[in-house]
Amino acid sequence: MIAIPSVTLEILVVVIGIFLLMAESFFPAADKRHIGWTAVLALGFVFVMSFFVTGFSGLQENPAFYVMDPLGMFFKRFMLVATALTIILAMDYAPVYARFIPSATPQAGVGEFFVLPVFACAGLMWMVSAADFIMIFVALELVTITFYVLVASMRRNNGSLEAGVKYLILGALSTGFLVYGITWIFGVTGQTALEGIQQIVPRVKAPFQLGLFFGLGLVLVALGFKIAAAPFQFWVPDVYQGAPTPVTAYLSVASKAAGFVVLLRVVETFLFAPDLDAAWASKIVSVLAILAGLTLLYGNLAALPQNNLKRLLAYSSVAHAGYLLVALASLSSPNAEPAIGFYLVGYLLMTFLAFFVLVQVARVAGRDEIADFAGLGRRSPVLAFGMLVAMLSLAGLPFTVGFYGKFLIFVAAWQSAQFVLVGIGALTVACGFYYYLKVVMAMYWQPAPDGAPAISVTPVTKFIIFLLVAAIIVFGVWPEPILAALR
Amino acid sequence: MQLALFWTFSLLMLVFALAVVFLRNPVASALSLVVSFIGLAALFVSLDAFFIGIIQVLVYAGAVMVLFLFIIMLLDLRSEKTRKLNLAALAGGGLVLVGFLSLLVRVVFAKDGYGEIPREALTGPITDVVGVGVTLFKSFTLPFQVVGVLLLVATVGVVLLSKKELK
Repeated sequence: MIAIPSVTLEILVVVIGIFLLMAESFFPAADKRHIGWTAVLALGFVFVMSFFVTGFSGLQENPAFYVMDPLGMFFKRFMLVATALTIILAMDYAPVYARFIPSATPQAGVGEFFVLPVFACAGLMWMVSAADFIMIFVALELVTITFYVLVASMRRNNGSLEAGVKYLILGALSTGFLVYGITWIFGVTGQTALEGIQQIVPRVKAPFQLGLFFGLGLVLVALGFKIAAAPFQFWVPDVYQGAPTPVTAYLSVASKAAGFVVLLRVVETFLFAPDLDAAWASKIVSVLAILAGLTLLYGNLAALPQNNLKRLLAYSSVAHAGYLLVALASLSSPNAEPAIGFYLVGYLLMTFLAFFVLVQVARVAGRDEIADFAGLGRRSPVLAFGMLVAMLSLAGLPFTVGFYGKFLIFVAAWQSAQFVLVGIGALTVACGFYYYLKVVMAMYWQPAPDGAPAISVTPVTKFIIFLLVAAIIVFGVWPEPILAALR
Repeated sequence: MQLALFWTFSLLMLVFALAVVFLRNPVASALSLVVSFIGLAALFVSLDAFFIGIIQVLVYAGAVMVLFLFIIMLLDLRSEKTRKLNLAALAGGGLVLVGFLSLLVRVVFAKDGYGEIPREALTGPITDVVGVGVTLFKSFTLPFQVVGVLLLVATVGVVLLSKKELK
């Protein structure tokens, strides 16, 4: 086996992005979907290559900005899969997208829609390996700026423009919090590397501790924006609803997962510092627990009255951030970290499945209301079955990944004595069943409106839907492969 | 002397930063921002960070602000009309502000005072352009390259969002 340093993966992804950008400008007349397929194949190649890289990061730098550990590697693959799925989804969405950009030909301007996610992918892969606040900041900005462009890119759609502006302003605000927090931490410890900070944290004397944890608090606020935790979630519904649907899926899966990995690394830096003051450790945990409780309640209760499926999925994304935060507040249990990884994989599978079906239905209906799903069980059994599995898994029915993920998280929470959170979690799962099954009810129990047009699904999309359904059920009953990959 | 200069420039910066928010005329806001940036540049210089101080004046007070004024001119913005205040939003914003400020005051004026910073001295201040360049390219290679990718994406994005008719 050849020793390939792991940083090659990100470099390769950036090179793919640059290559595609150039291809896009050299073949202006070509069908832009070729660019999308090239991107998917190239990302697939990087995914395969990721199994041949060695633990060696390929960088001999001091300070170490980049770590190469199983967690980072796992989430690099996660990002590659999420990006490839986003681009495939974007190709299904291209006809809708092309309607909302001012262009002379139907294919113009769609190319960037397939290329920009590739650059975002490189940023996400750097983010999950970042071991230094400077690297975290830079990679996070690369991701966020790509998303500003992607969210606002449907320029003739008011919803997309509104979402773009809201995301830009609140994203800039959260960046401000992040930098300010990092400044405080740097001011007290003189370090930006997470490892260096961990060494110094226990030696920080009483008056400085306040400054240090003030900085940590600000960083938590900023990352709370990124992962959509209450009370920093107010941008989520409008942005998710307004953004082009593939971007919404990408934002809610990849951006959230990367945010959680960074959050995990930052929190562990402080929580697992040797001989940390027990009072501070319990304060950090209780802040995380309060965030988790609020996020769970807000996400699930606000999702109850929604009639627009995209908005419903936005609130459900907040709710799932809540379950993940429960695991983060239970880090004293050794099961918490694998639970977060597994839950995010399940979240990727079921969210993309839901969005794949949504894009097909919305393309015909022209909007994303749940009412448009009426009678889908008759109109298109394949799509309806895909949505059924996605909704049941999101709700957490046994024998799906959604159930096993929640189970792992509740076990971890129970082990670290977060009984209140387990209680809130059980209550909100019940809420979840109500609003997810609303969609299922529309599909199977309500008649299709007269003259509802047929929905044509390409073989590739059918194959992807089948693959996602299979993965949800297989990993729901046999989760070992994923848990083994996380170790 | 240094303390007096610090307070002068800090006050200058803060007063004009508030003016940016509270003035109704966008041109006046933009010009207040210039003054605020110059105050900030002076603070950088007083910390021996000459390079950042100069860049602050050249890039922010110079280039970025000219761009701002151009945009204001091209958009033909008038003075903002007085809007009805949304009480709920005002209360919410005020609550966040009060919470944040009280936390900040508590941290900055910690009751035992701060005294000496408990850490090893950093590897000497970098004051000149050569030092900044060498540090960026030698010890910060990876983040520096990531910033390069970021700028590429931003350029593509600006072209994508501002192009009139895509061909």
